[in-house]
Amino acid sequence: MYIGIDVGGTCTDAVLLDRGLVRAMAKVPTREDLLSSLLEALDEIMKGVEGELVERVVFSTTVITNLIAEKKYDPVGLILMPGPGLSPSLYRFPTDTHIIQGAIDYRGREIIPLRLTEVDQAAAELAARGYRKVAVVGKFSCRNHRHEKEVAARVLWNYPDWHVELGHQVAGQLNFPRRVVSTYLTCATREKYQFFVRSVQEAISQRGIKGAIFILKADGGTLPLESSLEVPVETIFSGPAASTLGVQALTPPGETAVVDIGGTTTDLALILSGQPLLASRGARVDDMLTHVRALAVKSVPVGGDSVVERVGKDIIIYSERLGAPYCLGGPLPTPTDALRVLGLTRLGDADRAREAMQMLGAPLGLSVAEVASRVTTRVIETITREIEAMFSRWEQEPAYRVWEVLQKKKVRPSTVVGVGGGAAGFVSQIAARLGCYPVIPPYAPVANAIGAAVARPTLQVTLRADTEQGFYIILEEGYQGKITERSFNEENALELAKEWLCKRAARHGLEDCVEGLEVTRREVFNMVRDWVTVGRLIDVTVQTRRGILYHVGAGGTSE
Amino acid sequence: MKNKKTGLVFFPAFDWAISPTHPEREERLLYTRDQIFEEGVLDLPEIEEYAPRLATIHDIARVHFCVPRVQSQVTEAHLIAAGSATLLADAIVHGELKNGFALVRPPGHHAMRVVHGNRGFCNINNEAILVEYLRRHHGIKRIAIVDSDVHHGDGTQDIFYHDPDVLFISFHQDGRTIYPGTGFPNELGGPGAYARTINIPLPPGLGDETFHYVVDNLILPILEDFKPEFIINSAGQDNHFTDPLGSMRFTARGYAEFTRKLNPHLAVLEGGYAIETALPYVNLAILLALAGHDYSYVREPEWPGTMPENPERVARVQRVVEQLRNVWENRDRVDLDKIFGTGTFFQRRKHIYYDTDYIEEEQLERVRRCPNCPGYITIDSRADHGYGHPSRVFCVSIPFTACGTCQTEAYDAYEQARGLVQYQFVYLQDKSTDTFLAFDQDKAQEWVSEGPRVGE
Repeated sequence: MYIGIDVGGTCTDAVLLDRGLVRAMAKVPTREDLLSSLLEALDEIMKGVEGELVERVVFSTTVITNLIAEKKYDPVGLILMPGPGLSPSLYRFPTDTHIIQGAIDYRGREIIPLRLTEVDQAAAELAARGYRKVAVVGKFSCRNHRHEKEVAARVLWNYPDWHVELGHQVAGQLNFPRRVVSTYLTCATREKYQFFVRSVQEAISQRGIKGAIFILKADGGTLPLESSLEVPVETIFSGPAASTLGVQALTPPGETAVVDIGGTTTDLALILSGQPLLASRGARVDDMLTHVRALAVKSVPVGGDSVVERVGKDIIIYSERLGAPYCLGGPLPTPTDALRVLGLTRLGDADRAREAMQMLGAPLGLSVAEVASRVTTRVIETITREIEAMFSRWEQEPAYRVWEVLQKKKVRPSTVVGVGGGAAGFVSQIAARLGCYPVIPPYAPVANAIGAAVARPTLQVTLRADTEQGFYIILEEGYQGKITERSFNEENALELAKEWLCKRAARHGLEDCVEGLEVTRREVFNMVRDWVTVGRLIDVTVQTRRGILYHVGAGGTSE
Repeated sequence: MKNKKTGLVFFPAFDWAISPTHPEREERLLYTRDQIFEEGVLDLPEIEEYAPRLATIHDIARVHFCVPRVQSQVTEAHLIAAGSATLLADAIVHGELKNGFALVRPPGHHAMRVVHGNRGFCNINNEAILVEYLRRHHGIKRIAIVDSDVHHGDGTQDIFYHDPDVLFISFHQDGRTIYPGTGFPNELGGPGAYARTINIPLPPGLGDETFHYVVDNLILPILEDFKPEFIINSAGQDNHFTDPLGSMRFTARGYAEFTRKLNPHLAVLEGGYAIETALPYVNLAILLALAGHDYSYVREPEWPGTMPENPERVARVQRVVEQLRNVWENRDRVDLDKIFGTGTFFQRRKHIYYDTDYIEEEQLERVRRCPNCPGYITIDSRADHGYGHPSRVFCVSIPFTACGTCQTEAYDAYEQARGLVQYQFVYLQDKSTDTFLAFDQDKAQEWVSEGPRVGE
């Protein structure tokens, strides 16, 4: 049996799946103390079920998101080696930043050496200002981590009890400013996250569950809870990923727009050819750009509880929530009241809903029904526009190869799937506007927990080999190795990458998922100097199969 | 925030090459990609990256006579490079962008009006396609192209040699020392476009300082007089001190300062084959300069600091600058008949060598000296591919602002040539109506391309 738990901002949802069938579900309010909500939800779905029967528990949580949003972490200083390039004044990192000499180029060659006296000075200044945590990041450190390691060693030699985090271990992709932010956030949250993980492990074992515990990442993959300690920041924003995977599990594959209408926001995501769309660049965290891989999710500031007001002759929907809808005893009219009047929901009191519409419409001479349809139309238009924009943005993604440009085709959704509280009232009209079929799947209110429960563990390994210089790098591990064979080619690179993926899987206890590996990137460039090929640059990315373990509700047939 | 952004199309064409070891190959923009991505410049709010798009066959036919037809001379990569430039131009004209950089491959400034094959790594001329596109789709008339490639932009010069509304300025390493061997101060444009072509040959080994002397004392003053509505930079980067093909000593910072001063609407990548030591830094510096950012921290690893210039060469450059300023200032006072003769047609013979494809082409170009318009052009072109019989074609080009007489005469010339068996293909390019005809003698068949109407 699988358990999925989504600890959201207002509700904690949980499901118990038994061979693809939903056996129990729960919805409890999320309290300040996340653990107690988690346990309450767990207890509710496990009534009469032995803990030993649970093979795996997956949860998605806002704990890291909240830590960062509320800045509940120790201060972290930065020691950076940006080398030549962009003016350092363009980097605006929210902490003490020390820039020191030293530079590596795009092929991992040292172009400016370090000066250790500058390291000492930077560390001393950080120490004087009370820092004990420091992130060390160099430009192109993912191509050669020597400088970062030397700086860290020097800092720790001076201050052995400091917590030092290195850029190349946090993010292997190119983009120095994003690597700085990712490293900074990792350094800031690691300790607190560790504490959280330990208490979750404790609580779950108290309930007699011996199965594996996983946590959902922003890209819709899962990691063993223990392994997530290495990458705390990747657990941010797993909520939207959970509902998207839930939709994937509850509906047939195809081109789908996922509309998760909540109280104050509506989250939109796309499923293309059966797989959720990943954002082309890393996620924005607390207004900083990071390397965190995430599903492409657009949050629109409108939901069932958004405040609706009349301004002059116009009716405006605000992006804030001031309590429950009027029909549920709230202070002001909301889109939910409009739905109630139109008979599209059964929530709340019909008379109060009419009263809310009356308040809005009377000064304009509009009937209750007219106002209600105006309000819902506004919401529907906003969401429809955003879905269209998401598809166009996806089409507008840059392409760097001829075949990529040529194969771009206009894809539009064929279904609009609604989940979340406000979905029922709006989805059919949104679908109609987009010329799609509306779908409200069974278990829509707990789609997020279902998504968490069936999410696959994911691991990926990116290998970059430079045969001219005779070395290779495993980006995710921050490992640099030598290439000894003279004839090292693309196939060797692929084999080596697969070996590393197996090793990585074994370390995380995920030996099972190495089957059906996917090669997601394969690039080979001949390096030609003076008309002679002197070497090759080979980039290979292999990953375990992405997506869900099985569809839910259809008898649990495997994919 | 509107109108403040710099648009970028980055199209490295990682799956396109002339041949596996040719300088114009997949690897060329690889390190530029790494540098730009690692710097995070695409995350800057002032820079917006666009997805490339394809130019249409019609966009090409508006400029070139491709033999036998457009499809046989261009690959999709060419269409994407040219289309990306027009895409950015659209966004600039519509006010979404203040300027743009088409950082694309393959390049184009050696491609001339008639195209029998590839020369100087170019098949079609991205800047020329852009100019005709701007005129047709946006009604922009006066355009300046400044070519900063180490090689003379002979293709662009050829296409606009008789066009009074396009100012073409090229500075480059002296043609006696480098391909294509042209671009001397006496090449100043045809009788209807005198001094609309300005060539500044530079002695090899020249550095930033003298380069900026030319910019400040010649290029910028001429541009100020000409008052173009749109400025295009043919941004070749092989003047760099590490370039394997050129012998100049410009730096990334020198290029960036030039970009800042020129303030072009659109920079379009041309040559530059120091793919590791120059391109990542020069491209980054140009992009930062366009976006109005500080580029003073961009420094190539082998940066030599300031370099002493050879005073004798500097003096030579100063003399050329003075001579060309003189030409420019007196351009409306010179007696054109003295230079070009008094016939109804001005004609010149050209020998063109296609270095990549080993084609020898002989051309007779005639332009009608018309008092009311730039005059129509005919070209009798014979290309020897080194095997079989040379192919011979006849081309007629009617300018955008043609008068009625020129238009009628041009159509007559086309009809007449159609009857002559020595021409395998006869072409008519009517820019005034955006119509292109091609006649295949063997099949006795005519193709017509009318393209999309304005506004479509």
